[in-house]
Amino acid sequence: MTQGRLLTFYIFRYDPQEPDDKPKMVRYQLTETPGMTVFIALNKLREEQDTSLQFDFVCRAGICGSCAMVINGFPTLACRTLTAKYPKGDITLMPLPGFELIGDLSVNTGKFMRELAERLKLWLHPKANDSDVHRLEDPMDPVEAARLYELERCVECGVCVSACATKQMRDTFVGAVGMMKIARFEMDSRDARTAEDFYHVIGNQDGVFGCMTLLGCQDNCPKDLPHMQQIAYLRRKMAMTLI
Amino acid sequence: MTNVTRAHKKVSTQLSHPWSAKADWLQSATGILLGLFLLLHMHFESSILLGKEAFYQVVQLLEGGMFSPSGHGFPLVTKVFSVFMLLVVILHAALALRRFPAQLGQWRALRTHMKNINHKDTHAWFWQLVTGFILFFLVPAHLFTMIMNPEIGPHLSAERVYHDNAWLLYALLLPAVVIHAMIGLYRVALKWGLSSRRTALSNVAKMLITYLLCLGAASLITYLFIGSELGTPVQPFVPK
Repeated sequence: MTQGRLLTFYIFRYDPQEPDDKPKMVRYQLTETPGMTVFIALNKLREEQDTSLQFDFVCRAGICGSCAMVINGFPTLACRTLTAKYPKGDITLMPLPGFELIGDLSVNTGKFMRELAERLKLWLHPKANDSDVHRLEDPMDPVEAARLYELERCVECGVCVSACATKQMRDTFVGAVGMMKIARFEMDSRDARTAEDFYHVIGNQDGVFGCMTLLGCQDNCPKDLPHMQQIAYLRRKMAMTLI
Repeated sequence: MTNVTRAHKKVSTQLSHPWSAKADWLQSATGILLGLFLLLHMHFESSILLGKEAFYQVVQLLEGGMFSPSGHGFPLVTKVFSVFMLLVVILHAALALRRFPAQLGQWRALRTHMKNINHKDTHAWFWQLVTGFILFFLVPAHLFTMIMNPEIGPHLSAERVYHDNAWLLYALLLPAVVIHAMIGLYRVALKWGLSSRRTALSNVAKMLITYLLCLGAASLITYLFIGSELGTPVQPFVPK
């Protein structure tokens, strides 16, 4: 069997818990194996070379959204990025910007997503007559169900937040993930909230009218969610509410 | 109305931010107006490439020559139109200020982001930001000239460009305004979902930038040549 090529990783290392630690880039080398992803490489590095390396993962299949990081300048999921994609074999890994750093490549996206959900009230608000849990639910139109399912595919990886310069400049901006989830409930016929209610939440500079259409969310979303169309839809809808 | 409901009403009007929507819509609308105007303006002024006679006829037509017994247009039309355009520019600029990274921390966040994240459309927006800032100063300079001294013609315009050294202003204004406006039209189309054919729009924007830069540069050079051949005091062009 032929030996795989040698990959060189430059990995951001910093542990905020260590009082004397300083942020630095550390170089690691590893032999490539067939079908290797950045996620597999990181596990190998941790197993064989440096047990202190911190990064997040759960599913290794692009479903949990835990392993998002900046790989050679593109925020994406490590488990869905093949090392073969980089002909030179040089791979630079940085943690997702815009989130609280836990250590090295691990960031606290969960805390951010929870705060966002509480702030935007990202759950179904049932209609007043819908409080009886024993009542049989009305069937949903398959077209509507498909539209909702399309937006439900979001894995909350945080890539859209990191890829958005607007969000990096303005901390209170809700970002694509917030607008995507609002759009999901806005389309849901079971939700009691009206266009005016949603306007109160995202019809401002922190919401849809603060978005500058830089499209970092659209171009980097690992689930290929239609952020551009969705935000444009919300913007038209919210502007119509007013005019 | 009780104090409580009054307070509620106050809170809810504060939350609803009607101006955010209006400002965003107005910024887009004035941007589209200015962008489309630029496309027309560039072609009208470049009619000098077809000869002095062609440019003369374009000016007379736009200045309402058909309403004057002598067939000559009214420079007042240019003056009034320039005032109107200045107002649109001021409105657009005031609304666009919302987007500027006005605080140092925001500017640093933007630069760090651009260094770490490789994303073309963010870079395009950065150039729009830079050119937009330049235009704050160059567009009023251009419009004030047209308000104070609205005489346009093959010789009078050439005099402005060559003898009054306006070429320097135009040489800076041309790339700034073309880049700003074409990226802006591309972005505004995607922003409101007027079109989602992004690759096509981006190609059209790139082509238009190249085309308008060539067109503008060629006509500017033509005015410089015409200006250099004119003796002072400059006599207005008289058609044959």
